Amino acid sequence: MHIIDRYAYNNRIRNVEPAHKASLSLMVLLLCLMLNKPLVGLVAAGWMFLLAVGLAGIPARTFGRVLLAETTFLILTTIGVAFSISTRDPGSITDWAWQLGPFWFSSSPDSLYYGLVLVTRALGCASAMNFLALTTPLVDLVDLFRRWRVPPLLIDLMTVIYRFIFVLLESLDRMYMAQDSRLGYHSYRRGMISAGLLGSRLFIDAYQRSQRLQIALESRGYTSELRTLPSRYKDDRTVLWVSVAVAVSLLLVWAVGNWVIGNWIIV
Amino acid sequence: MKPILEFEDVHYYYPGQKRSALQGFSIALPVGEKIAVVGRNGSGKSTFFLHCNGLYRPQSGVVRFDWQPMAYNRRSLQLLRQRVGLVFQNADDQLFSASVAQDISFGPLNLGLSDVEVRRRVQAAAELCEVADLLERPTHALSSGEKARVALAGVLAMEPEVLVSDELMASLDPWVRLRIFDILQQLHDQGKTILMATHDLSVVRYWASFVVVMEAGQAVFCGSPQRLLTDRPLLEKTGLARVWWRVEPSFPNEEG
Repeated sequence: MHIIDRYAYNNRIRNVEPAHKASLSLMVLLLCLMLNKPLVGLVAAGWMFLLAVGLAGIPARTFGRVLLAETTFLILTTIGVAFSISTRDPGSITDWAWQLGPFWFSSSPDSLYYGLVLVTRALGCASAMNFLALTTPLVDLVDLFRRWRVPPLLIDLMTVIYRFIFVLLESLDRMYMAQDSRLGYHSYRRGMISAGLLGSRLFIDAYQRSQRLQIALESRGYTSELRTLPSRYKDDRTVLWVSVAVAVSLLLVWAVGNWVIGNWIIV
Repeated sequence: MKPILEFEDVHYYYPGQKRSALQGFSIALPVGEKIAVVGRNGSGKSTFFLHCNGLYRPQSGVVRFDWQPMAYNRRSLQLLRQRVGLVFQNADDQLFSASVAQDISFGPLNLGLSDVEVRRRVQAAAELCEVADLLERPTHALSSGEKARVALAGVLAMEPEVLVSDELMASLDPWVRLRIFDILQQLHDQGKTILMATHDLSVVRYWASFVVVMEAGQAVFCGSPQRLLTDRPLLEKTGLARVWWRVEPSFPNEEG
């Protein structure tokens, strides 16, 4: 959370119009989903990595670490798709079966292919979203949603929830330290009790904070909508042109794969 | 003396609590003064402040602003909240946006000003509070001194005539305090009225030109700091003598 946030506010394309960055990400996301080919997903992930590192100046390690966190979930899911476990011999369905004790592990060219499609597609989509998250702070996205006529209530909720994540994290941190310094976590048992107390206290804290926030907002003339000035962005269309180039390249990869190379498995 | 804010026999109690927070609270605050409000925790200072721009409505009694009894309809409140600005004790309670610039722009936008004017005000308030270089920073990356100044800028951008601050300084380091006092001095020079809750004797003595002492929901003293500091019986009665004597052993004998 903190690391994504830090780069969102400090990268080389921070002040680029968020609509351009969002269009790049959404376009890649849509193409990955629609074209549904392993190579397209891989190329998309490669593009997003290159752009995040080369254009936005995000360290390659950071991009990798964020992606890795997501990949862990992804691989777990894919294993379920590519392999199956049963107690009976699946020999009638596939030749790729191994017995281990009472269980049969099996797979097939088809399920491996689906696993590959799943991994690469998700990799492309996740990279596209990570690119947006790492280059665009939430305030700019909220700004964009407002221009896209997202209902004000949703926008206000996003604004307040996002701010409160940090406020509550700070409370959590302070309360935890206060408990820890009074030996609240010296044993497993005490630790569980302390964590329970901390959780319930945090709820009360959040509730009281929300009431104080309400009063403070009213004091500045709040009526029904959290209106703020839109930010101003650099007049730079680089990202827009880049997103066109990326989209064209993904379509090309798909077309070449489909009509020229044909049945090659990775396409 | 022209009063800007007047409370007349105001009563206010929080539901579920035995004692009223304000019980027969009456004061008249002179315009253009630097007013210190002293009183122990729970003496009703915060409740008093929340009445100043109509956030709380007295259960009985009258609050007058600029000679007019406060009206609590939407339009009057909107006007009142522009003229009386409230800075809260904990800046985190006030800052709702992750962007400093957007948070400061919230108040002026609620006044229905044009974007150009709002931008001007955000810039002016940010410069006055020395946070202009923080405008593009996320709110959660600020130190508490910076947050306090951003919170102050958010209120000053509405250009209020009266600034009410509820122990704004309590947790700030002396350098930030001095800066805030400089800002308050500039506001004072522009003819604004400033109210500040404080526990600090030196603020009462060297900064304030008018003092309100609160005790158990009532104002037990209203007047100049000189008068307060020489009123030995009152200081003894409210316990202020004993507290302040500790800080400054020569007090209050030298004036006595």
